[in-house]
Amino acid sequence: METAAIIPAFNEAESLPNVISEIKGLFPDHLIIVVDDGSTDGTADIAKEFGCVCLSMPFNLGIGGALRLGFRYCMDRGIDCAYQFDADGQHDPTQISSLLSELEHSDMAVGSRFATDCSYEVGQSRKAAMNFLRFLVRIYTGQRFTDTSSGFRAFRKPVIKLFAKEYPVEYMDSVEALLIASKNGFKISEIPVKMRERSAGQPSNRNFRLIYYFLRLLIVLLASTHKKKKD
Amino acid sequence: MSSSTHILIAVLALGALFLIVRLVRLKALKAKYSILWLTVGTALAVISAVPQILDWTAEKLDIWYQPTLFLLLAIGFLLLLAMHFSYELSRMENRIRILVEEISLLKEKLEKDD
Repeated sequence: METAAIIPAFNEAESLPNVISEIKGLFPDHLIIVVDDGSTDGTADIAKEFGCVCLSMPFNLGIGGALRLGFRYCMDRGIDCAYQFDADGQHDPTQISSLLSELEHSDMAVGSRFATDCSYEVGQSRKAAMNFLRFLVRIYTGQRFTDTSSGFRAFRKPVIKLFAKEYPVEYMDSVEALLIASKNGFKISEIPVKMRERSAGQPSNRNFRLIYYFLRLLIVLLASTHKKKKD
Repeated sequence: MSSSTHILIAVLALGALFLIVRLVRLKALKAKYSILWLTVGTALAVISAVPQILDWTAEKLDIWYQPTLFLLLAIGFLLLLAMHFSYELSRMENRIRILVEEISLLKEKLEKDD
């Protein structure tokens, strides 16, 4: 069974070497795919230097676009299992195996920062935003997720195929991806994971843009008419 | 409508028609868009030549001030056009995204073969 790590990276040359070598050290048989999202700091060179598959996009498409490309590559190559991993060192590679073993009884596994108390600090407005998203996703999918925006996820082949074509490409892709997977009848499960502080790079959330993204997400929700209830 | 407005509209309509034909000949405007604008130009020309059409329609629709009808039609048309462009933009964005994906995949393949 071939397993791949999809690492979307936008100007992460600083933290990427560490992330790659950690994964390589723990899982030497995993195929590491770095999707360079139009970086200007030599992120692609680092990925190639480390012998990873490097998909370079000619300009920045955002994390959703980068992930979709990663899924597409996995699909073309017939990868059985893939997981997405942040390039900023936020995710802990020792948690990968528990995420992957979760795939034995579900199609998609989400690593949650909040499923147990793992002391991950978030700001006030982010907290409110996350609560709201949790509520929306719960209404829509009929399933309770504690961490809807987690970027630490693993997927089985059928989900990879779906996401290669339909992965949402706008900001808040992670929430929309949950909805799409659920709508297509895939079994999603959530497990608690430990996460670290970002080792480099800027957090991608900007408060003043949040309202716009919420509105967009609401429209996406309203537009998907065939709501699927969980059995 | 006064005769001076009449002349103004006639000049504008002729100018628009001239510009559209020129742009199409220069291949700066796609034929599918030129049809749209030629229709608009022709409509303007007809209205300026026979303003009674506008007066008559306005009267039938109980519109007292005839230019209102003209403005209403113009705004309605522009709104539809803007919507159409949004639609085209969304489609283009999607296509560009798919092209970017293809390019990146091909580039990776090329570099691997070297």
